[in-house]
Amino acid sequence: MTPDMTLTQTLVIALLQAIAVILLIFIIVPLTIFAERKVLGFLQQRLGATRVAGGHVGITGFMNKRMWGMGKLPFLSYWRGIPMLVADVLKLFIKEDIVPTKADKWVFLFSPALSMIAAITVFAAVSFYPGALFHFPKAFPLIGGLPFNGVLADVNAGLLLILGIASVGVYGIVLGGWASNSKYPLLGGLRSAAQIVSYEVPLTLSLLAPVVLAGTLNFNDLTRRLATELPIWAVLPMIVGFLIYLTCGFAECNRVPFDMPEAETELVAGFHTEYAGIRFALFYLAEYINMMVAAAIASAFFLGGPFLAPFGLHKFLVGVPFLGAPNALFMVAKVIFVLFVFIWVRGTIPRYRYDQIMAVGWKYLIPLTLVNLLAAAAIRFAC
Amino acid sequence: MKNFLKTLIPIDIAKGLALTGKRFGQVFFTANRRKVRLHNTEEYPERPVQVAPRFRGRLQMLKDEAGEVKCVVCMACQKVCPTGVITIEGGKKEGRKTKLPVRYDFEMERCIFCEFCVESCGFDAIILNHQFELAVYDREDLSIGMDGAQNMFVPSPVAKFSVADEE
Repeated sequence: MTPDMTLTQTLVIALLQAIAVILLIFIIVPLTIFAERKVLGFLQQRLGATRVAGGHVGITGFMNKRMWGMGKLPFLSYWRGIPMLVADVLKLFIKEDIVPTKADKWVFLFSPALSMIAAITVFAAVSFYPGALFHFPKAFPLIGGLPFNGVLADVNAGLLLILGIASVGVYGIVLGGWASNSKYPLLGGLRSAAQIVSYEVPLTLSLLAPVVLAGTLNFNDLTRRLATELPIWAVLPMIVGFLIYLTCGFAECNRVPFDMPEAETELVAGFHTEYAGIRFALFYLAEYINMMVAAAIASAFFLGGPFLAPFGLHKFLVGVPFLGAPNALFMVAKVIFVLFVFIWVRGTIPRYRYDQIMAVGWKYLIPLTLVNLLAAAAIRFAC
Repeated sequence: MKNFLKTLIPIDIAKGLALTGKRFGQVFFTANRRKVRLHNTEEYPERPVQVAPRFRGRLQMLKDEAGEVKCVVCMACQKVCPTGVITIEGGKKEGRKTKLPVRYDFEMERCIFCEFCVESCGFDAIILNHQFELAVYDREDLSIGMDGAQNMFVPSPVAKFSVADEE
């Protein structure tokens, strides 16, 4: 809250920003789910979803019949699978919500919400643009002329806030697995707890390298300093840190090379076996929102965020007309690229065994991050 | 040490990502072009499917150039059939040296499409054609003889698949 704003104005702007963030989430998440179908298909030389239904009833059914009659593919449900965008989410919301009789009811009902809350709240501290995205026109009654910032909560310890809240998400999984009162969810939840707690360590340590290089925890300052003020040698720890962060990000989001909590082959569906309908949807969406968070942090800390050049190489671009200035579009493009990498890796690498996951986490990633941190500290000290 | 470095530097993962990335690019840019096809799946009901040459579909009898049935009633196929779905009765005809089938019943209900009958045939008189849309509404339609609308010499009528076909 800047001194020239009243509390009401601050709250109204914060509310608008929160709505904007949630809209962004609910635009990008269905797109990611759809992209997962299509991109995974293309990676495996398939076409992915090409249709939703050839229904007989309703408006779509009528149009389908007409278009079949004209000898054409019905575009409403067949147009390259685009309707899948809506159908995927709609299906989750209209299914019956079942609570097992022997389940611990309140914990069972609460844990998907916990997972979702933890996933969404993190976005409060993620910055898409340093400074104001735009100013409200003077004509607005209460908030005319005030800035609409690229970050919701510009706190000094932004990274700490993000890591703290993101680690709450594991409670949703563990409690959901335990409250289901069934063996597969319980095993899934336990595995998830072990895996996420193990990978939290290298994840945080790999994020420490940019923090040491930049010397701040504030999200905006950190992005700017990383992009423009790093010595050239800092590229090395940044690239290594990026790869390690990405690996740990897959593990934190329970994505395929490390999808132990779900483990379709041995644990049915892991922690959400007993969930159906909207509660399953909350878990499902939380997973994708977590992916977005991981992608946003990766792009802000390692790929330069709103500054174009990745790995702290932006200082060579400063002064170039369009490319040199920070731009929220660059950030969004990078987030989308990292989301694509998530799907790309899922389509390429087979799952690790459970002990292999633990071995990779403890024996390789943690020592590697420590060495990386040491290198970053040396560069910071020398330059 | 070599193992350690191999684990530390993920060259294999990079190779795999390069391969799938190449495939993604190829399919992504040619998915909507009919002439260039780099994907392996078919959009089945709308586009006809080309099956492999050795695909085993429905049993079908062949005729030679003069329109004569090639079968000589050697009973090899009936004997070799593991499920006993083929029943043959032989007859005679003026001007033909060999025997001639007067009845060749094929009950597709129990056929397991093993192609033993075709392999045992010394006269290339039967084949398994490339037809796979064999579902019917009436069980009687699965018993195929030498005469009738649905007989051993022509492929079975194709099942309906879409709303357009019903009208």
